[in-house]
Amino acid sequence: MSSSPDTSVAILHSPVGVLSLVRVKAVALRNRVSQAIADSPIKFLTTMALLGVVWVGLYLLFIAVFMFLKQSRMEAAIAIPMVFSFFFVAMLVMLTVSNAIIAYTSLFAVEEAAYLLSSPVPPRAYVWLKYFETLIFSSWSLVLLGLPLMFAMADVNSDAVGYYYLFFISFFICFVPIPGAAGLVLAWLIARFLDRNLRRRLIIIAALVLAGSLIWAIQSVTAQDAASDQWLTNFLLRINFVQSALLPSSWVVKGVEAAIESQTTLALSYLAVTVANAMFLSLIAVRIVSLKFMSAFDRALSSRGGERSTEASPAVGLASKVFFYLPLGQRLIAAKDLRTFFRDPIQWTQLVVLFGLMALYLVNVPKLSGAKPLEGWGMVIPFLNFGALSFILATFTSRFVFPLVSLEGQQLWLIGMLPLSAWQILVAKFAFAMTVSTCVAFSTTVLAVIMLKMPLDWAVLQVAVTVATCFGLCGFAVGIGARLPMFEQRNAARIANGFGGTVNLVISVMLVLTMLSGMGAVGYHNRMRGFDEALDGPTILIVGVMIAVALVGGFAAMAIGARHLRRAEI
Amino acid sequence: MNLAIDIQSVHKHFGRKVAVHDLTLSIPRGELFAFLGPNGAGKTTTIKMICGLLHPQRGTIDVCGHRMGLNGLAGKAKLAYVPDQPFLYDKLTAREFLLFVGEMYRVPAADQKRIIGELADRLVMGDFLDKLTESYSHGMKQKVVLSAALMHDPEVLIIDEPMVGLDPRTVRVVKDLFRERVNQGRTVFMSTHTLGVAEAVADRIGILNHGQLVCLGTMAELRAQAAAEHSLEDIFLELTHPELQSNGGPGIETVPADKPLAEGDSHVVES
Repeated sequence: MSSSPDTSVAILHSPVGVLSLVRVKAVALRNRVSQAIADSPIKFLTTMALLGVVWVGLYLLFIAVFMFLKQSRMEAAIAIPMVFSFFFVAMLVMLTVSNAIIAYTSLFAVEEAAYLLSSPVPPRAYVWLKYFETLIFSSWSLVLLGLPLMFAMADVNSDAVGYYYLFFISFFICFVPIPGAAGLVLAWLIARFLDRNLRRRLIIIAALVLAGSLIWAIQSVTAQDAASDQWLTNFLLRINFVQSALLPSSWVVKGVEAAIESQTTLALSYLAVTVANAMFLSLIAVRIVSLKFMSAFDRALSSRGGERSTEASPAVGLASKVFFYLPLGQRLIAAKDLRTFFRDPIQWTQLVVLFGLMALYLVNVPKLSGAKPLEGWGMVIPFLNFGALSFILATFTSRFVFPLVSLEGQQLWLIGMLPLSAWQILVAKFAFAMTVSTCVAFSTTVLAVIMLKMPLDWAVLQVAVTVATCFGLCGFAVGIGARLPMFEQRNAARIANGFGGTVNLVISVMLVLTMLSGMGAVGYHNRMRGFDEALDGPTILIVGVMIAVALVGGFAAMAIGARHLRRAEI
Repeated sequence: MNLAIDIQSVHKHFGRKVAVHDLTLSIPRGELFAFLGPNGAGKTTTIKMICGLLHPQRGTIDVCGHRMGLNGLAGKAKLAYVPDQPFLYDKLTAREFLLFVGEMYRVPAADQKRIIGELADRLVMGDFLDKLTESYSHGMKQKVVLSAALMHDPEVLIIDEPMVGLDPRTVRVVKDLFRERVNQGRTVFMSTHTLGVAEAVADRIGILNHGQLVCLGTMAELRAQAAAEHSLEDIFLELTHPELQSNGGPGIETVPADKPLAEGDSHVVES
């Protein structure tokens, strides 16, 4: 091979810029899209169609909310700006956190970082690239949620003119870098100054502070009768901070309001403030992070290289005993999955946070409802509880249970080589998923029926329907996970977000909606006949059908998955 | 200065675990150096420090006279690093990836196509050069990352486990490539567990154990130390796992670990 000229001098005079890196990412994106269209057009179209359904659904929901609020002009004048302010403050916080998480993983935790940083890519170019990527990854949710909100806002407001659309899109684009810059600096600070142990302690302290604040907030909101004028006044005073002029979210809200009212100059001035701050903060954040980036990278890599003791905790010890009823091979697989679950804070913390919030709400239910069980709101609340619980379970199974089979595909010894049939492997996966989800769902439902002082018959009914829903959701996640696996993918989040994951999520949501419809039918039937503590024949029949649907659905999905797995070539 | 890599008294620890302890090692230009050691000995940590990805808590590392520190851009421009797990962008073809690397290293556009053509012929990559890299086997990926490393004709090629996944023909081609580069005055720093390859192609061999350099020299010097016609495998096991060499081992005499190995030394130290 003939050699090329010495290029090191050229590199030093003109270092690699972020544009070169962006260009290669653009080529990869182009290849990805053309591959998706060429290889599986139906999959691509289905994904787009599902996205469209979600988007239209949100749009219709926001239209309904704004129409409802507009029924009273006075309330609308206060409530609509408040809804906007809440939305953007929530976005500010959520985007800062999600940017910090995504920035940390993309800056410090990928092979790409090691590759590019061992090349003559200046840290600043690399940080800019990762900053752009993080903004795109983290802000798609804002676009998905925000655009239908803003379209709905325009459509219920006859004053809005054409350039309003241009304004709110500009505001969105300019708003995103503000929490993005904060998230970037946060990720860098964590990598630079916190070692693994300190990081864990800090996360626990932050979780406790958050839980404490939530308890305080809920208790102060529910301290008075929610139907009174005084409660509303106090509530509005308490949340007034979301409209503070110092918050970037306020500039966006006020700018959008000005655009709706055709006050172009005012809208432009708010847009200018947002743009100026976004640019300034982005420049400052990238500058700070780039200057000390290599030392943060060294620290992040070093903390991963350290020896970490994984002494058996009581929870891990429990994992070996909890599946005593399974044959040895399946027991070992289920126990391995449970150990992995306990050792992966991303999995259990999400579940603990979601169910913690649920439990917090349930403890406060009696203060909120003030109704007797099975009367008026007393009948609606168990229905809402069941809905919230089921959707959380569907999220858990779609995100964490669905990828299990695909991830095992990387370990050929388990699916391909272990002397267990496909069905036995799926049963082991199901046993793990069912154990975790039933533990939390069962305890939450029992807490709900106790707080609502439900009669025993109704309590048993509620618990039975919840456990059946768990069965169905776990069966779907394991079965569809085996039927539509992604054996080549190592990233669990990407497996969950892929085509199979989307199909599983949609089917899981359909099961939840079916179960909710059944619960609604039970409620309607009992309302018609006058509430009675004893369960009648039609009630038992409806509940029986619901339970059968969940059990048969979950079992069928497992059977289909096992059949596919038997024939699969990994 | 005629040194390609100059490591002086480097120390690196991760928490309580010492990964590299007081390592001093100089690799002159035009040498093929084999870096051996058992798993967890500190080889990859040393390599990452040479590449500027990790920073030593003590000591210094220079590549072609450029200090590798927090801003080691000049040194990075002189070297190429091929990790043990080849990194490629899944949704790029090999050709697109190689063009990207060429652009990163400021290789003139006209040269890029010529070099890609030559490397594709030599490493037999023509069949898959325009396919997405996500469909490649480990060996195909290894060929592409090796080609990427050679795109800018680096002064120093640092390569971690170069032969894993390659077919025998390609192993031969890679060995020849390394030797050609060394003959042209370039340096190859190779970390490997394939002792046969190290024995066959390396000018000098260094063995790292528990973060310390326990052996350094040419194959002939190591054999002379062992005072017998022992293979590199025997010498390696004697130094790193003496319990496995209970009968018939080379019987290497060790010297105290606190006596540092100086340039030109070809002996072993007690670990």
